[in-house]
This record gives sequence, structure tokens and C-alpha cells, in this order.
Amino acid sequence: MNPSPVFSEKIQRTITCIGAAVLVASVTLYLAFPVVALFFRTTPELFFSSLSNPDVISALFLSLFTSTISLGVVILVGTPFAYVHCRNDYPGKVIVDTLIDLPLVLPPAVAGLALLVLWGRMGILGQYLSLFGISIAFTTLAVIMAQIFVASPFYLRQAKSLFEQLDPVYEQTARTLGASPLRIFALITLPLTANGLVSGAVMTFGRALGEFGATIMFAGNLPGVTQTMPLAVYVGMEGNFTVGLTISILLVIISFAIMIAVRLLARREASNA
Amino acid sequence: MKRPLKNQNIIIGIVCGLLMLTALFAGCTSSPATQPVTPAVSTTAAPATPAPTPLPTPQAVSTTKAPVVIATTSTPAPVYTYSEGNVVAFTAASLKGVSPKLAADFAKMYPGHKVVFNLDGTQALRTQVMNGAYADVFISASNAYTTELTNGGYFVDGTVKPLTSNYVIVILPAKNPANIQSLADLAKPGVKIALGDKSVPVGTATIAAIGNLAKSTYGQNWNTSVMKNIVTYETSEPGVATKVALGEVDAGFVYESTYTASPKGTYTAITIPKVDNYLQTYTIGVMKQSTSKSAASNFENFMLSTIGQQDLKDYGFRPVS
Repeated sequence: MNPSPVFSEKIQRTITCIGAAVLVASVTLYLAFPVVALFFRTTPELFFSSLSNPDVISALFLSLFTSTISLGVVILVGTPFAYVHCRNDYPGKVIVDTLIDLPLVLPPAVAGLALLVLWGRMGILGQYLSLFGISIAFTTLAVIMAQIFVASPFYLRQAKSLFEQLDPVYEQTARTLGASPLRIFALITLPLTANGLVSGAVMTFGRALGEFGATIMFAGNLPGVTQTMPLAVYVGMEGNFTVGLTISILLVIISFAIMIAVRLLARREASNA
Repeated sequence: MKRPLKNQNIIIGIVCGLLMLTALFAGCTSSPATQPVTPAVSTTAAPATPAPTPLPTPQAVSTTKAPVVIATTSTPAPVYTYSEGNVVAFTAASLKGVSPKLAADFAKMYPGHKVVFNLDGTQALRTQVMNGAYADVFISASNAYTTELTNGGYFVDGTVKPLTSNYVIVILPAKNPANIQSLADLAKPGVKIALGDKSVPVGTATIAAIGNLAKSTYGQNWNTSVMKNIVTYETSEPGVATKVALGEVDAGFVYESTYTASPKGTYTAITIPKVDNYLQTYTIGVMKQSTSKSAASNFENFMLSTIGQQDLKDYGFRPVS
């Protein structure tokens, strides 16, 4: 490779640096500016005064409560599922693989409608449940089910790829030493993949926290019961703009706090390990 | 170990970086002066201009569920219109059923003209317009929002006129699963009711009607029980109708026009006595920002003409008194 006679080595490297800087700057600004703009559209007084709005408080607690439960269910059920799915070859494995990714490409409103058509009291399964007096649509349970549906792929895909990429040497060694599969899973596999699983969990929590389309379709919009923060933002943005802004800012702060907390935790783990 | 960069990589890097930067600045700072009406002449990189909402045939209507901002600038920039006869009408969602007929009759009355409806809750449309969305005509389902827009100077003076009116009615799924026979039954425990949110015009109309009914006939306990039975506050009037049609709620409060225009057998209805009911008045107005004001005025004239008013009447709307 003969260097071009026009560009000396030094000029090449300067241009590269500038190009790289422009790239990094534009991407960062494109992501950061809209978020920053939220903070500039309101004043601290307005923000703190609307924090005491009962709709804001109930939306906040409802969102955190439902997202935490959704995350818990996804982790508890999803981790063993991903492990079993990866370590075994069973008929229909390809189909299950595809189904795991399905909620990612399905528009959330479609997901909500589908859940309603299945579990609603006129639904294919729901009609039998309503015979027992169980109704799911328009309840907090519906919010959790909608969140689990749309957010689980984030965790499952992450867990799947982690378990697949894990060097089988560790598990095989443990097996030769006489450990049962359950012991291997708990004491070998999980600690080795913990970091990746946590990042998958963060993504899942974020997605569940921000879920809108499926929630409004399947669970409806009732303050205190099903009005999560994204719904409150949407309704507030059209009615009470300040309330909508306040909730948006709250969401940003919470998301940031979680991500930073997780990164700090991961860094501490890495330095302790 | 850093890979030494080749010449072509550097150039690609610079070009990409500059493209991104231009895209960023174009999105932030473009003004009406620099933003062209036709996309053919474009001074900004392709990713900058948001894809103009494709203008479908007059019969098509677009229902937006999330706020659609057609222009991203602070001052309204013209949306892509391919002829002077085009009208973008921001219309209250309750006109969804009648809009194809209106579009067809408008094109017949004014050959060469086409109307595109942006149907959504009036509150959503008001927010879009106030944040820069482009509209030629605004049909509002609530005097409160009309006043808000008038005070903000969004309408051309003298063009805001009452268009039509609508009463509130209670609809039930055809099978009437909760066996509701009268308005009193709405307070029965376990009945599920869908309502429009208080930011939606039909929502405020419903709350007012319920309040009137409580005061005149059914009492405060009835009022409290009905409010307790509400399971969802929908963000648009058709949303309420959908939940009832799906049978997922036992009753919903919508406009009379929705019930009259629905296919026979979809709903059962319980009327609210006129003396307690809330008459919602719709208004129409030409937007100051419109770049085809003559076409916009033609559309307003059509809506107020005998043909337009008859179309509305056929779909259950009431003439303005």
C-alpha cells in the first residue's frame, strides 16, 4: 500500500481524528439533545409542584411496581427456559427460536389487540376464565402481562446468546467432577454469565417501563390501576402539558439512574473478581 | 492494537461525519425560507427531511394513534402538496365514519380539489398544531379547544363557524352481557364502563351529562357508582366505540353519530334525555398558516353547504340550531 503523495501521514491522521470526532459528536448530540430539551421546556418550580399531582404519583408507583414484577417473572421463568432451550435439541426448536423474537417485530398495538382477543372476556381463552369470575383485561395484571409479552425477548435473546457462547469446558469439567445439571446451572453457568444477564435485565426493565401501545389496548387507561407513566405522558401531553413534561423527565431520570447503577455494580464486580 | 486507516476509510469517515452533522443541523434549524415546498429541490441531505406524509386518494383517511408531527420546525413549514387544490383537514375523530363520503362529495363539488383528513382526538390535533404541524382546516369537537386556538391566533379571522352538533348516547354491545336496561343499571356493581378521557371532548361532554342526570333524576349515589364502574378512559371517541364493539366493556359513552352510523346490530343504545344531555358543538375554521387558503375556504363552504350538512345528517350528526 503506497501512501498517496498528496496526503502525508500526519495529515491523514489529523483528518481521521477530525472525522472520528465529528462522528462521535453527532451521534452523541443526536441522542442527547432531545432528552436535554425536555429539561429546558419547564422550570424547576413547575416540575416540583406537579410532582405532587396525584396522577403523577400514582403513575410513577404503578409503573415501577408493574415493571419490577414483569422483570421478576421474565428472569425467574426466562433464565431456566433459555438454559434448557440452549443445552437441548428438541423438535420445534427453530419455531420456538422464532417465536422468542416475534414480539420484537410485532407493533405493540397489535400485541395489545392480540392479548385482548385472547384473554379478554370475549376472548378465545378469556371467555372460559370469565365463567369462573376471573377477568384480566383492564386490570393491573393486564399491564404486567402486556409488559412481559413485549419486553421478554430482550432478556431471552441475551440469555440465549450468553449460554450458547459460554465455553462448554467449564460445565463439562463440573460434570466430570460429579455435579448435577442443576448445580452446574446455579454455581457455574449463572455466575459466569451474570454480567450479560444483568444488562439484558436492564433492557427488559426499560422496555417494560416504556410500554404504551399494548398497555392501552389490553389494559385500558385508568389512573391508579392501569395508567402507567407512558400513558400518563400521552394523556397529559394533550391535556395538562406540564404534567406530561414532568412525567417524561421522571422517566428519563429513572432510566438514567438504573443504567448508571447497573454499570457501577458491574464495574465493582469486575474489580472484585 | 489500532489498525492503520487507509485513505478511502478516512474519506468515508469524513463524509459520514459531515452527513450526520448536516442532518442534525438541518433538523434543528431549518426555517420556511430554506425548506422547499417540493422535495425535488432539496438543500439538505436525504435523511434530514422527515418523510412527507404520503397523500393518499381522497377516499383514504388516516387515523393517527400517536402524535404525528408533519414538520419538525418551530414555525410551521409547508407540507408536500402536489396541487393548489389540496386541503389537509385536521378533524375530530368522531367524523371518521362520514369522512369518505365528505371527501367524495367535496371532490365532486370542486373538481380538481382533494381533501386529506387527519382524524384524531381534538386534544391531540390541537397539541400537534401548537407544536408546528401543518393544517389547512381545523374541525374541532369542543368549543374550549376552538377558543384556545382562536386566542392563539391560529385561525383566519372570520372563518371560525359552527359546523354541526352531537349529543352523547350510551351504547352497549349487541348481546348486552350485563343486561343493562336503563341508565339506572349503569350503577350496578360489576358493570364495566368505557369513557373518553377528560382531555377528549366526548369525555367532558359525558361527565357533564352524567352530572346532569345525577342532579335531575338518579342522585349522587348513582353518580358515584357509575364513576366507580369506569374501567378505562380512552384517548379518542372511536376508541370507546371499539371497546364496546369488542364486547370487552358493558357500556360506553359516545356520540349519537357513532351509533347512528354503525351497521345495524353492532350496538344496542340507551338514549340520554335531551334536557340532561350535553350538546357538543363542532366548529370549522381556516388556519392562518395554510398555503392554499382558497382551497381551504372552498372546503369550509362545502362543509357548510346543503350537501355537506346532509352528509353529516345522514351519519347521525345534528344541524346547528
